[in-house]
Amino acid sequence: MENQVPSIWGAMKAKGYSRREFMYFCGVAIAAAGLERSGFGQVVNAFETKPRPPVVWLHFQECTCCSESFIRSSHPIVADVIFDTLSLDYTETLQAAAGTQAEKSLKDTMEKNKGKYILLVEGSVPLLEDGICCTIGGRSALEILKEAAADAAAIVAWGNCASHGCIQAAKPNPTQATPISKLIKKPVINVPGCPPIAEVMTGVVTHLLIFGKPPELDSRGRPKEFYSRRVHDTCYRRPFYDAGLFVENWDDDAARKGYCLYKMGCKGPTTYNACAVTKWNQGLGYPIQAGHGCIGCSEEAFWDQGLYERLPKFPGFGIESTADTVGRTATVVTAAGVGLHAIMSSIRKRKVIEENMDESVNINPPKPGSAMPADSVDEGGDAS
Amino acid sequence: MATATTLPYRRVYVWELPVRVFHWVNAISIVLLAVTGFLIGWPQTIWMSDEPYQQYWFGWVRFIHFAAGYIFFFNLLFRVYWSFVGNEYARWSSYIPHRKEQFLNAWETLKVDILQTKEKGKISVGHNYLAALTYLGLFFVMLFQVVTGFGLYAGMSDAWLPWLFAWIVPLMGGDAWVRQWHHIAMWAFVVFTVIHVYLSFYHDVVEGRGTISAIVGGWKFERDDEFDK
Amino acid sequence: MTRVVVDPVTRIEGHLRIEATIEGGKITDAYSSGTMVRGFEKILKDRDPREAWAFVERACGVCTTVHALASVRSVEDALKITVPQNAELVRNLMFCTQYMQDHVVHFYHLHALDWVDVVSALSADPKATSDLAKTLSNWPKTSPGYFSDLQKRLKAFVDSGQLGIFANGYWGHPAYKLPKEVNLIGVAHYLEALEWQKEIVKVHTIFGGKNPHPNYLVGGVPCSFNINDVNAVNTEKLNFVSKLLKDAADFIEQVYIPDLMAIAGFYKDWAAIGGGLKNYMAYGDLPTKGYGDVDSFKFQRGAILDRDLTKVYDVNGRDENEIKEYISHSWYKYEGGDAVGLHPWKGETEFNFTGPKPPYEQLNVEGKYSWLKTPRWKEHPMEVGPLARALVAYAKGNKEVKEVVDEALKKLDVPITALFSTLGRTAARGLETRLIARWARGFFDELITNIRGGDVSTYAKGSWEPANWPSQCEGVGLTEAPRGALAHWIRIKDRKIDNYQLVVPSTWNASPRDPQGNRSAYEESLIGTPVAKNDEPLEIIRTIHSFDPCLACAVH
Ligand code: HEM
Ligand code: HEM
Ligand code: NFV
Ligand code: SF4
Ligand code: SF4
Ligand code: F3S
Ligand SMILES: [Mg+2]
Repeated sequence: MENQVPSIWGAMKAKGYSRREFMYFCGVAIAAAGLERSGFGQVVNAFETKPRPPVVWLHFQECTCCSESFIRSSHPIVADVIFDTLSLDYTETLQAAAGTQAEKSLKDTMEKNKGKYILLVEGSVPLLEDGICCTIGGRSALEILKEAAADAAAIVAWGNCASHGCIQAAKPNPTQATPISKLIKKPVINVPGCPPIAEVMTGVVTHLLIFGKPPELDSRGRPKEFYSRRVHDTCYRRPFYDAGLFVENWDDDAARKGYCLYKMGCKGPTTYNACAVTKWNQGLGYPIQAGHGCIGCSEEAFWDQGLYERLPKFPGFGIESTADTVGRTATVVTAAGVGLHAIMSSIRKRKVIEENMDESVNINPPKPGSAMPADSVDEGGDAS
Repeated sequence: MATATTLPYRRVYVWELPVRVFHWVNAISIVLLAVTGFLIGWPQTIWMSDEPYQQYWFGWVRFIHFAAGYIFFFNLLFRVYWSFVGNEYARWSSYIPHRKEQFLNAWETLKVDILQTKEKGKISVGHNYLAALTYLGLFFVMLFQVVTGFGLYAGMSDAWLPWLFAWIVPLMGGDAWVRQWHHIAMWAFVVFTVIHVYLSFYHDVVEGRGTISAIVGGWKFERDDEFDK
Repeated sequence: MTRVVVDPVTRIEGHLRIEATIEGGKITDAYSSGTMVRGFEKILKDRDPREAWAFVERACGVCTTVHALASVRSVEDALKITVPQNAELVRNLMFCTQYMQDHVVHFYHLHALDWVDVVSALSADPKATSDLAKTLSNWPKTSPGYFSDLQKRLKAFVDSGQLGIFANGYWGHPAYKLPKEVNLIGVAHYLEALEWQKEIVKVHTIFGGKNPHPNYLVGGVPCSFNINDVNAVNTEKLNFVSKLLKDAADFIEQVYIPDLMAIAGFYKDWAAIGGGLKNYMAYGDLPTKGYGDVDSFKFQRGAILDRDLTKVYDVNGRDENEIKEYISHSWYKYEGGDAVGLHPWKGETEFNFTGPKPPYEQLNVEGKYSWLKTPRWKEHPMEVGPLARALVAYAKGNKEVKEVVDEALKKLDVPITALFSTLGRTAARGLETRLIARWARGFFDELITNIRGGDVSTYAKGSWEPANWPSQCEGVGLTEAPRGALAHWIRIKDRKIDNYQLVVPSTWNASPRDPQGNRSAYEESLIGTPVAKNDEPLEIIRTIHSFDPCLACAVH
């Protein structure tokens, strides 16, 4: 709760940003900063020399739903991606080898393709007590990530877990789950979403191949190609929003007519994702289309914002407080104070007012030599 | 009525025309912003028709909010400029207490206004320094609203002005948190307005120096014996 | 005596580590460890119970939806909400969809490579493969050309020297027994299944907005029906669901089941390996007259002890003496000490890592060695999953289940005891998928009947506002996840979650031993498994895969 009190720097520090990053944020007036292109030059080279770019897919603290989403891709279909486009050399979910043999695949790929493989990461990295909350082959997630990232040509963070820590980073983040961009010094392409849309995932990896350069990123490392618009600005229910026609209760008449879900807590207005345009499962639909508001699953810390509230609970004033309970209370208290004051004044200041009444006013003409004429403006005068 | 004493007063031109214009543009835009902002936060059910093509009221609410937002912002910029070229009452230095007597005055006003002790010394011609402090505080809230408001606006606009403020969004951890703070800050204006309007009337009544009319016509009255002390 | 460590166990969900002791070519002891934790039960505390489904759904993206279902049921149980029949039907359809997708993906993409030798498929004769395929089913893609094209693609892939997901597999291992042609069919259907699975989940998209992780709702389902509006589930969307269900049934009947039977025919020795525990438990699911009416469930509830199919015991999630979780070998601590077992309503989740600091070579299996707790039913270790469901239903005389099970046993010419095995588990999964495909059609038809009759309600009105909730209440939501009996226990206090505990199918199966030293299902099933090559753990992963492990689920 503390990290939400007004100091933005404090909040950032609590979230693990460095002073330098803070200055960066403050200094960049236009957010469309993008990443250094130079870091990607070698990826392009790698593609030119290898028939299929080698890919390492790591799993840390996650639910494997990003992998599941990936295999739902319809264009390109995932079989083509796995067998014709990429060489998916290490992926615990699909690879034939296990244990030692699996570890060998990882090692081989990294050694034979130093600086030329793409690293895809699913899941966050827990920092609690040297990484005891996630080990693979006896090694901590952090150690594996650092090693794999060191010689990777490009790094992609799949899903909200790798990009923002997702559910395990929700309060009180018991395992100290950390997004990967905070742990490695190289540029990371964040592909948030819980999970990301299948075609967005295959789109991001094939963008590199088709256009020979990485997708342009926004200030938070997300490909603009998929994350530049709010769900709300592309939502097919938007006309209802602008018309002020809202669903008020689940499955009410308005719901059956597909009115806007804003009042049911829809987070479309604060969520950047391609859901309303690219849509899910081969363009078939997205949460709002099936009657549930967007829960903001591609946004940082969306778990702590409440699924069904328009705005997050207001911290520090008890769990039920919203911004408006706090504001309303302040206003009522103020108004009461004012009322009281008015009553007090009319008693205690009565004499003053009466004295004033007794003073008849005599506006004197300006006396020569004295101060400046009262009705002239003091042009260059100091405030003193 | 008791015997009337005749005291010499002078007229003082306190609030220049630009300041007055600023004040009312500011007051009106803030009221509009708060009302429309509140509606954006909690849209009321106005069941005018069933079909979205027949109405656009919520769109207009938002339009008014954004339009008022622009006016509010440029008006504020102008006021900052005027605080360097305007008269002594409009100057920056009378809003940022930096000298001992300014703080003393704020303290004194606090006693007079809240504890309702009897006024000692002279009544300020411009605003008192307690008011100055609240205006200064409010100024920062205004800036905050501008930054967060335009920061949010950047997400739905390709215009350059909002984009100048887009940096606030990642800094605060996403649009949802920015909206949260933008929303809570609205209440600062509501609270301020309640106190401010009340105190304006209060001072007008208690002091009888034309506090209210001054913000319309610019003139206040000052007792001759207090002038230039 | 050798200690073999398999970590990571791949082609599963999550982070599983198996340590096994091998003596004379056989496994004599085994330890199963979950090595990743996220702390869901800690994170859920003090949150709005109506939000819990979305959190717990993210316990797992492979069995996505099942936790959401358990969660909304637990809250509805606590608040005494009964959802409309349409909502129940939509939930059932989503349930069936999940099973079909999950089971098919498990069979082809997570399990098949334990039985199918991809490299051997390279030398199969496409014509012979075609002939064989035609005898298996009426599936249209069986021409010699189809198989030879596939083989060319596979060959080009292998010749590229970049073996991708097939790199370092156990190709040529003596435990692979399929003829080349069956291997080639296996590879073909691996690819077809990969394409098909992305279709069936569209049922989730229509009713829940997306897959993985469709939306649920306490009190009903979020989608609305309106046959006079384009902005809700209307005729077109219902037609889509109908088509998806039909295609799914075709795929299951003509591809999955024939492949399963063909492969099983060559691995009958595995009907005597991997049996493990002798106790089975199922909570049952797919209510036909509402969740409150357990007797109306398609899958029955009950427990079997010691493989005695003549007696099925009642299982009660609310009875605090039945289900308990232990932590004597888990990295947690209880206020009452390590030996006690806690019913989930009283459950505690306090980390207490005592294992070796990473990097490590071996776990201290004498002490705590896993992030999973150890659930017990009346102190018995229980196996849960498709096999348990089949056995409970079979023992309870469920006609439909009996019919498909008996038919399969007859076809393979094996006795019912063959089910108590690695192969039995894998077969039971396929057989229930057949039933699920049929049942889904029934639920769909009932939904249409309701809508035709004018009942479009999908939400229990008046159940949303917390204002009229009791200040304290508790509930349990039971369901059958693809991997077995799943339940969530919730305690609500002052409209917030006071305690939330998940006891998950893979927790039952993959847990470490209990304070008495009794092994859970994975560990027990490995005992006696022959291992041909100590450095190639193919047999270990075969049996472990037959459970379809999900460790993110299990630990949460
Ligand atoms: C006195 C100043 C202002 C007040 C009191 C105010 C108040 C509000 C409030 C209460 C909301 C609703 C937030 C919510 O519940 O989500 C809001 C939204 C918003 N405000 Fe302001 N606001 C002010 C100034 C501005 C300015 C200067 C801008 C700049 C254009 C601005 C832009 C916005 C935007 C973009 C939204 C979100 C609207 C949407 O997404 O539909 N606001 N404002
Ligand atoms: C009936 C309505 C109002 C009256 C009678 C009124 C009166 C005044 C007066 C007399 C002053 C001069 C300062 C002083 O003597 O202390 C002033 C200044 C100011 N008022 Fe108001 N006011 C009104 C409404 C508002 C509203 C709604 C706002 C904004 C929320 C506002 C914001 C300000 C600000 C920021 C100043 C300082 C302006 C400057 O010195 O440039 N006023 N007002
Ligand atoms: N174990 C497990 Fe699940 C399933 N089925 C859930 O309850 O997989 Ni992730
Ligand atoms: S981002 Fe969401 S969907 Fe992806 S692994 Fe994490 S919890 Fe699962
Ligand atoms: S449903 Fe959500 S995203 Fe769509 S218009 Fe309404 S508020 Fe915006
Ligand atoms: S919940 Fe997630 S899936 Fe899209 S519509 Fe919202 S970002
Ligand atoms: Mg648990």
